Amino acid sequence: MLSEKYITSSCTISKGIVSKNGSNLFEGQDSDTSAFLLSIYQHFKLNYPKFYKMDNLSKLGWLTSEILLKDDFKPHLYQPEQVGVVLANANSSLDDDIKYYASVSDVPSPSLFVYTLPNIMIGEICIRNNFKGEHALFVQEKFDADFIETQVNYLLDNDLLEACICGWVDVLEHDYKAMLLLVEKEKGEQALPFSKDNMNSIFINN
Amino acid sequence: MSSTAYIAGVGVISAIGNNVPEHLAAFEREEASMGEITMLDTIYHGKIPVAEVKLKNNELANMTGMPPDISRTTLLSLVAAQEALTDAGIPDLNKLRTGFVSANTVGGMDKSEDFFIDFIKDNSKGKLKNVYDHECGSVTEIVAEKLGLKDYMTTISTACSSSANAIFYGARLIKNDVLDVVVAGGTDALTKFTLNGFNTLMILDPEFCKPFDEHRQGLNLGEGAGYVVLVSDKVAKTLNKAPYCKLSGYNNSNDAYHQTASSPDGTGSYLAMKGALEKSGLRPSDIDYINLHGTGTPNNDSAEGTAITRVFDPKYPPVSSTKSFTGHTLGASGGVEAVFSVLAIKNGLIYPNLRFEIRMTELPFQPETKFRKGQNITHVMSNSFGFGGNCTSLIFSKI
Repeated sequence: MLSEKYITSSCTISKGIVSKNGSNLFEGQDSDTSAFLLSIYQHFKLNYPKFYKMDNLSKLGWLTSEILLKDDFKPHLYQPEQVGVVLANANSSLDDDIKYYASVSDVPSPSLFVYTLPNIMIGEICIRNNFKGEHALFVQEKFDADFIETQVNYLLDNDLLEACICGWVDVLEHDYKAMLLLVEKEKGEQALPFSKDNMNSIFINN
Repeated sequence: MSSTAYIAGVGVISAIGNNVPEHLAAFEREEASMGEITMLDTIYHGKIPVAEVKLKNNELANMTGMPPDISRTTLLSLVAAQEALTDAGIPDLNKLRTGFVSANTVGGMDKSEDFFIDFIKDNSKGKLKNVYDHECGSVTEIVAEKLGLKDYMTTISTACSSSANAIFYGARLIKNDVLDVVVAGGTDALTKFTLNGFNTLMILDPEFCKPFDEHRQGLNLGEGAGYVVLVSDKVAKTLNKAPYCKLSGYNNSNDAYHQTASSPDGTGSYLAMKGALEKSGLRPSDIDYINLHGTGTPNNDSAEGTAITRVFDPKYPPVSSTKSFTGHTLGASGGVEAVFSVLAIKNGLIYPNLRFEIRMTELPFQPETKFRKGQNITHVMSNSFGFGGNCTSLIFSKI
């Protein structure tokens, strides 16, 4: 069944700015990625000690999802199996892979090793929110809105999911960019139609 | 619809034997198989014990009629799957709908490691043939073709619960009348990739492992393959010998707690055991033996032990970890231990948990330490718990 789908919330973290639904919420002062991510955590007064254990990719994805979902996501509307995650990025877990590889010459670090897969980021988001639906992470050179649209439409049109978080979360050393969208079947207050053009415009403008 | 998935044949290869009779003999001798690394070129020679299959690749190739330069994962798979299929002796197999559901986690990584040594020095070097079968599914395809299992094949890779999941997926294909015969289980060869990975996690025991012991220090890596042949009601009636048992219960549940560790209270393993019991319609007190996941890591044995306490207290069946013989064969372990579970029912066996000395302080039960035969074993539970909290329990029952 084809159904209408809406972007009911969006959040981007890019170029030192955290933005939600088109409004800038926070501007960081740190040029270092780790310090910037920590400043976001502190600014939004988040309380999740596991954050400190995560690699930068998981931190970036997790922070974006926290801000995306805050106030705009109603967990009681869905069963855990009805919410899924479809993400893409260009650098997989390379940011952490490089740090892990550097640790190998001394004592290989177990805490770096367990983040040497990009889909661990999805695990962190799902564990936090008790999401148990389908999920996938694709490694692609550039953000491909067409591709994401196809994937998410398939999951929602076939009733495999009722809501889906989708987008792009990429980090490699000083470069990072995250855009997450909450896609639902019910039109919310600030909802945009879920389309590749709307995805591209949010991605490009942030 | 077939109401039941029967086990009509079994096959296994591991460090303690190259076939079923050799395994039974090793269990009776209470003889473990760990030793120094001989097959891998690694800096951990003499430092980390492993449980290697005692045949070199060319010997495995001779046994199977395959070329010696293919992945050891494939060679091990073919030996055990062939034994299982021969054991089942299904009449007119080629007229039935047949499938191969095979699990592994390393695929052709052993060959890719050979490729990389030359390639990393000069990216115009390295034999591409060595990476051609890198992907896990390649192992399954080669073996399915060789065995003539033509109608359906798939590969399952869910870490250490892989082949337990393959077996119950195979049973579901039979119960839903998709196939008549499924060879299901898994295979994994030792590789530098797994040795280094587990070593990084600091969960390898520098001595021989001691599952469920208070002073356990970690696991020993092993290698091998184990398969069962699952058949429908209709096929079971045509067999020349009675099926060994049936797969009466199964469940897969997830911890969603940590990338590699189990949750301390064993939530995933508790749900898997409880779900498998519900599926089979059995009570905890009906289980006559549990083949533990029992890796020997502090985390697994503590979480699994806690979960068993939650399910079985106050009456505990005999339990043991056969990984004290075979090492942890990773993606193959669910298949290898399913074969041991079937043999426990057929031959009335309880396997010993080698090197056990001191009961874990937090547990009110301890594993069996002596090989016992002539037991009346009707229902066996086999646990396989994987990284990411992917937990599976299977229950095999006498017919």
